[in-house]
Parts: sequence; structure tokens; C-alpha cells
Amino acid sequence: MAPVLPLVLPLQPRIRLAQGLWLLSWLLALAGGLILLCSGHLLVQLRHLGTFLAPSCQFPVLPQAALAAGAVALGTGIVGVGASQASLNAALYPPWRGVLGPLLVAGTAGGGGVLVVALGLALALPGSLDEALEEGLVTALAHYKDTEVPGHCQAKRLVDELQLRYHCCGRHGYKDWFGVQWVSSRYLDPSDQDVVDRIQSNVEGLYLTDGVPFSCCNPHSPRPCLQNRLSDSYAHPLFDPRQPNQNLWAQGCHEVLLEHLQDLAGTLGSMLAVTFLLQALVLLGLRYLQTALEGLGGVIDGEGKTQGYLFPSGLKDMLKTAWLQGGVACRPAPEEAPPGEAPPKEDLSEA
Amino acid sequence: MALLKVKFDQKKRVKLAQGLWLMNWFSVLAGIIIFSLGLFLKIELRKRSDVMNNSESHFVPNSLIGMGVLSCVFNSLAGKICYDALDPAKYARWKPWLKPYLAICALFNIILFLVALCCFLLRGSLENTLGQGLKNGMKYYRDTDTPGRCFMKKTIDMLQIEFKCCGNNGFRDWFEIQWISNRYLDFSSKEVKDRIKSNVDGRYLVDGVPFSCCNPSSPRPCIQYQITNNSAHYSYDHQTEELNLWVRGCRAALLSYYSSLMNSMGVVTLLIWLFEVTITIGLRYLQTSLAGVSNPEESESESEGWLLEKSVPETWKAFLESVKKLGKGNQVEAEGADAGQAPEAG
Repeated sequence: MAPVLPLVLPLQPRIRLAQGLWLLSWLLALAGGLILLCSGHLLVQLRHLGTFLAPSCQFPVLPQAALAAGAVALGTGIVGVGASQASLNAALYPPWRGVLGPLLVAGTAGGGGVLVVALGLALALPGSLDEALEEGLVTALAHYKDTEVPGHCQAKRLVDELQLRYHCCGRHGYKDWFGVQWVSSRYLDPSDQDVVDRIQSNVEGLYLTDGVPFSCCNPHSPRPCLQNRLSDSYAHPLFDPRQPNQNLWAQGCHEVLLEHLQDLAGTLGSMLAVTFLLQALVLLGLRYLQTALEGLGGVIDGEGKTQGYLFPSGLKDMLKTAWLQGGVACRPAPEEAPPGEAPPKEDLSEA
Repeated sequence: MALLKVKFDQKKRVKLAQGLWLMNWFSVLAGIIIFSLGLFLKIELRKRSDVMNNSESHFVPNSLIGMGVLSCVFNSLAGKICYDALDPAKYARWKPWLKPYLAICALFNIILFLVALCCFLLRGSLENTLGQGLKNGMKYYRDTDTPGRCFMKKTIDMLQIEFKCCGNNGFRDWFEIQWISNRYLDFSSKEVKDRIKSNVDGRYLVDGVPFSCCNPSSPRPCIQYQITNNSAHYSYDHQTEELNLWVRGCRAALLSYYSSLMNSMGVVTLLIWLFEVTITIGLRYLQTSLAGVSNPEESESESEGWLLEKSVPETWKAFLESVKKLGKGNQVEAEGADAGQAPEAG
């Protein structure tokens, strides 16, 4: 039974390995903390912007998964720090001997699994943002006037605050407001001929104007904001609607929000990738350290050369041993790690 | 009768020195906190110096920054002293400097307390600067073509949107100034000509406000023009309408923002001042108890630590006497010199 990927580890390389592992574990803990902060930030942003995403959108799952991944990375980092520090100190190592095996299993299976899931979500979910934002913004703009309808009464305030904070107007531009009735019927004078004309000229009986709400106004404009009769070039002297101007915000909220959320998801995704790499390195290092020290019988300062390995025997042999041990304690699991633990312990008890 | 005597044995002295060393390093952190608070306040004041006439007083943030730096320096020095206090050889180096150092620490604590008080008391001057600055800002709102003032419109609009306020004391301040530039007025229109003629100074005044005064929480689209004319808008009564525009004036909004900022900084500074006073008292006890160890060889012996060697009135008398002696000493020397010269002459 040849061990898988063996590595000879005399004393000095073992110490170097432990020290390097200590540094990597601190980096992993830092990365885990950063992921926790970043996903918390994204969750807070989504709370504010949740009304502009369609309810069927799965995007909010990403920061929740990243939160779990960050916590796992933080835990693995702290365990790595403790274990590598203990492996350099003969008095501290014995309590770690029994615990390290199961912890490595949990780290690989649980931690690795969560990280891979989070990374997959970070790559897949931002694609669905486009449609979700389109649907959400259409609904929000349609309900802008419904300030007295329960369930939609906050839409006006939220859309105004969105346009003020993100410096955007409408979905793709200010002309989106021309196709929506954004003035509530409650404030329309039924005796005014202009109002009646506008409502009758429209198939759905909507009051459509070529005006925009105040939140579309751009403070950088040198003249006081023009909100009404925007397509009529004679309504405002000295104003030519065909010329580019700073009167209103030029960008649409769809583009602005999409870029903002995709940036956040991209940052989170790259941090998750780096953490995944760090976690793999830390778990590998811990496994080699553990098996090397087991070869010495748990004596830290032993000058002897030992071998560190990933698995004590090839995959087929391990599965056979695991099958033979069948009904006792460990069920033959599809993962190689649990059967990998039983043979080394068996070897020790035989030796 | 010494003030607040406490007996110290070797173990207690060591614990005191170690505890003080740790507290001093926390205090360096606290000094960094005060420094960053002062820096933050300075940046916030600079950000809005446009609406404060560029004449706002930077006394509070500057003194916080200075106190933060001084606190870091003094406390790291004290930490070093406490670290050396356990070694008699190293401590002998510091011994002659300790008394003046403690006097400087006491002075520093007094100044820190005064700075903390200033954080609470200096809002009055800010109110005046804000009132003047906002008035001028609104006056220059329309001068988007005048170099040096072209940014004022943007500044005031962003201010009103961010702080949810309108005008100096309320939205009616906008009715009294011309905030629409002449460049965008159509002088061929009869309405414009009537308005300008009806005004003594020839200004175009409207009962309207800029768009940044609008309140997003209003159920109806914002009414910016003809605010006081009920008949111009359907189902509108300007006396009872509260949600249409921001009700607060920008002076009150900015003042409350800066007041809460300075109040919280004052509270943090007071807490840190208490911490520093504790450290100074601990250092005094350490100094007197180590001085009480008469024989440096017998470092195991017990000694007494105190705050003042004699009671407060006696210490004050002794201090006055020493000051008088300094004055008399010069006189005696002068008389001695005269007496010396007189026999020579005579």
C-alpha cells in the first residue's frame, strides 16, 4: 500500500512548513473576515435596492452564501493558526492530535463545499440581474403615482431617493417617464380641458405628459431645472432639447444599478476565489504536517525523518478497507476523507 | 500627613508597574482616536466651508489633533518609564526627571479637560458663520456664469438634498432673492416685464423655490412654483400642506449636525481624560512608592506611596514659600552684592 503523494519531512523543513502554515492561516482568517464584511455590505445594499429587483430574482442568495463561506474560512484560518503553533510546541500538541483529523475532514468537505457553491453563485447569478432589474424598475415606475394604494405607497419616495442618490433618471433615459402616468389621478383637475384631452387621446386612459419628476434634475445645470414640456422646443426660450445639456441626469437607472451590483458581485467573487486557493493550501499543509507528526508518534522534536502524505494508500485500497469496515462506525461515504482517517489510526494501533 | 497614603509591597509595586504599562499603551491608542476625531471634524468643516463664508473657526479640530499627538508622545514615554520601573538600575536613570514629567502630565490633563469643554461650548460662533454664509450662498445661487461663484448653485442644491432642508430659516427665504439668472429670463414676455417693474430694485422675484427643496415623501408631485397661490394647483392649500417641501431651514439642519458631531467628540474626549487622570495618579503612586524604598538593594521591602507628601493646604503653603524664597533669594544676592561693594568702596 503506497502512500499517495509522499513527501519526506526532516526536522527543519517541518518547522518551516509549520511557520509558513501559520502565516497562511492568518491570511486565510483575514480573507474570511474581509468576505464577511463585503457580503454584509452587499446585504445592506440589497435591502435598500430590493424593491427594484423582481421578487423572483435569486440574487440575494449570493451574499448569504458568501457570509457562510466567509465564516467557514475564518474558522479554518483560526484552526490553522492554533494547529501550526501547537506543532512547534511539544507541550501543546497532544490535545490537537485527536481533534485535527475530524477538523480536516470538516474543513475539506464543509468548507470546500460552501466555498465552491458561493463561487459558483458569484459567477452565475449576476447574469440574471439584467432581467430582474428591468422587471423591478418597470413595476416601480408604474406604481410611482400610487401613493395611496396600500402596498405601493412607498414607491414614489423610493424611486425619488434612487434617482437622487444614484444620479439617474428613468429606466434607460428620461423619456421613460413620458410613457408612464406618474401624476396621481387624485391631483388631476377633472374640469381642466387639457387634462381631459390628454386622457381621451390615450387608449388606456392614462394622463401622459412630456414632463419628469423633480428627482431627475441635475444640480450641475447652470439654469434652474426644466421639468415640464421637454419635447416642445418653443416652451422654454433659450433651450434647445436637441443639444446635449446638463438639465437632467443623462444615465438611466437600469445601467447605473446593474453596474453597481455587478461590481459588488465581482469583488465578492474574486475574494472568494482567493480564499478558496488559500483554504486549499492551508488544508493541504495541515494534512502533511499531521501525517508527518503521526509518523513520529506525536513527538514534535524528533530528529528523525518522516514522511508526510495525503492518503496512506491508493483510492482502490482505501475503498476496500472502508467497505470491509462497513457497518461499524463509518459508513462508506463517496468522499475519500473518512476512510482515509481510519487506516492511519489502524496503522498506529498495530505499530 | 500625607494625602491618600497606600502601602505597597514588592508584588503590589510590580503589579502597579505592569498595569500602568498596559494602560499607557491603550492610552496611545486613545490618543490616535482623538487625533482621527479631530481630523474628521476638520475635513467635515472644510467640505462645507463654501456655505460658511470660509471664515469658520478651526480651533476645536486643531486642538483635538494637537492633543492626540501630545497624548501619544507622553503616554509612550510613560509606558517606557513604567517598563523600566521594575529594574532599579534603569529606573535610576529616570528618577530625576519624574517630578517635572508628572507636573507636565498634570498640566496636559488640565488642557485636555478644557479642550473637551470647548467641544461643547463653541457652537455659538458656528451658528453666526452659518447664518452669514448661507445668506451669501443663496444670493450667489444664480451666478452660474460668474467665475469664482459658478459652483454655488451646485453646492446649495446638493446641501439641500443631503441635509433635507430648504433656505436659511425656511423656504420663504427663496421668495426674497432672485435665484433665476437673467440669462434664462425671456424679457419679451409680459409676465417677466411686469414682475421686474413691480419690484423697486428691478429684481425678478417669484414665490417659487429650486427643485432641491422638494420632499420625496410627498404623495403628490412636487409643487415648486406659485407655492402661495392655492388656485394655481388642484386640491392644494399651502397653509396645511406640510410634506411638499422640506420644512427645516439649512442653518438649523447644519447646526444640529455639527453640534451632535462635536458633542459626541466631547464625550469621547472626557472619557479619555478620565483615563489619563487615572494613569497620572497611578504614575504618581509608583514614583512615591519607589522613592520610599530607601535601600535599592532591599527591593523586597514595603514602602508607602502617596499623592502629596503633606496635606493640600500645607503643600500650597510650601509652594508659596518656595516662590517667595525665589524672590527673596534674588534680593539677598543683590543686597550681598551691594554690601560687598560698599566695604570695597568704603
